[in-house]
Amino acid sequence: MKIIPKEIKQKPIEYMVLASIFLLGFLIYFFADVNSHEKRLVVYFMAASYFFWSIYHHYKRGDLSISIVVEYLIMALMGIVLLTVSFF
Amino acid sequence: MKHNLSYYFIPQEKNNYRAEILKNGFLMMLVGFYLINQSVIKLIGTIKPGVLGYSSEITAQKVLDQTNLQRLNNGLPPLKLNSLLSESATKKAKDMFSHNYWAHTSPSGTTPWDFFKAVDYRYSVAGENLARDFYDTESLMNGWMNSPTHKANIINSKYQEIGIGVVNGTLGGIKTTLVVQHFGTPLVAIANIQPKPKTPPIEAPAEIKTEIDKTLTPNNQVTTPVNSKILSEQKSDYISPLTINKTVGIIIFSLIIIVLFIDGYFTLKNGVNRLTGSNISHIGFLLIILLFMLYQRQGAIF
Repeated sequence: MKIIPKEIKQKPIEYMVLASIFLLGFLIYFFADVNSHEKRLVVYFMAASYFFWSIYHHYKRGDLSISIVVEYLIMALMGIVLLTVSFF
Repeated sequence: MKHNLSYYFIPQEKNNYRAEILKNGFLMMLVGFYLINQSVIKLIGTIKPGVLGYSSEITAQKVLDQTNLQRLNNGLPPLKLNSLLSESATKKAKDMFSHNYWAHTSPSGTTPWDFFKAVDYRYSVAGENLARDFYDTESLMNGWMNSPTHKANIINSKYQEIGIGVVNGTLGGIKTTLVVQHFGTPLVAIANIQPKPKTPPIEAPAEIKTEIDKTLTPNNQVTTPVNSKILSEQKSDYISPLTINKTVGIIIFSLIIIVLFIDGYFTLKNGVNRLTGSNISHIGFLLIILLFMLYQRQGAIF
């Protein structure tokens, strides 16, 4: 079990929630009968969920700071911009 | 050189124990770079229409074969190619190029049924499917078959005939191929199966049309005359904007994911405590987005 990083071992439920969000997005995107517009919504939903998850996660960990919020915001924005600007 | 690279990729004292590439400023720069790349592509499409485009090897015959294959798979008889319907489909594609729109109904209000009437095809039922920017017929057909409304047209038992327009042109400054399917059943065919000769002709035809769904609606700005040829295609070597965007996007995401792995490895190895986001959640999110990007299908349907 050494392969599982320490932070996942410490907060397994939180990481399971995040993995479930990703899995749900993945399943809807690839297997549900959705059109381009709905696929775009899936990306928005995933990015927003990931961002709010990060705020909760770091708040509970006690290290929530502006720089961390900005970091997650940029990552979420990057996912949305790179995928939706040119592909939908 | 080696020293400079390690500054960007490996967490160390000089970069405050966070790979430089993963810092907020650098990430913002990458997003900015991608947006500039987008703007350049759009600018090229406006200044030099036709330099960028989607080269296609779709032909009307291939679309007909694939359509009938889908019908056979669903236990339906094949559709007969009708020259009038092919003419109306081609007219529709040309009209979209010349009036610079991408929709079932033109900005001036011309409906698909006006094209049927223009070629004097009298129908009892009719329908229309549209597609653009596809490279091959298989992907095009998959796109339609994955959309319930388009699929409903392809495997509709009420249709007997089909016309296909495959037209090259420039839409929004980008060379592309528009594919139009016009489905129909002539009034005569209905009359032939009527047992009573005195039955009055159907005067108000029922129109089966594809629902205008929520797929892509590109912003079209520039129109140039169409170079069209139904039932034949010319293979061209355009630079596809989709390929450029996909390549740039994949490079950016792969770079960040690799650096996140490196950064995570060295942080764990050195046991450094720092105030940053979770690399694992970043990697998970970016991998999913990368996967979406890799499997993003070509083309758009309407």
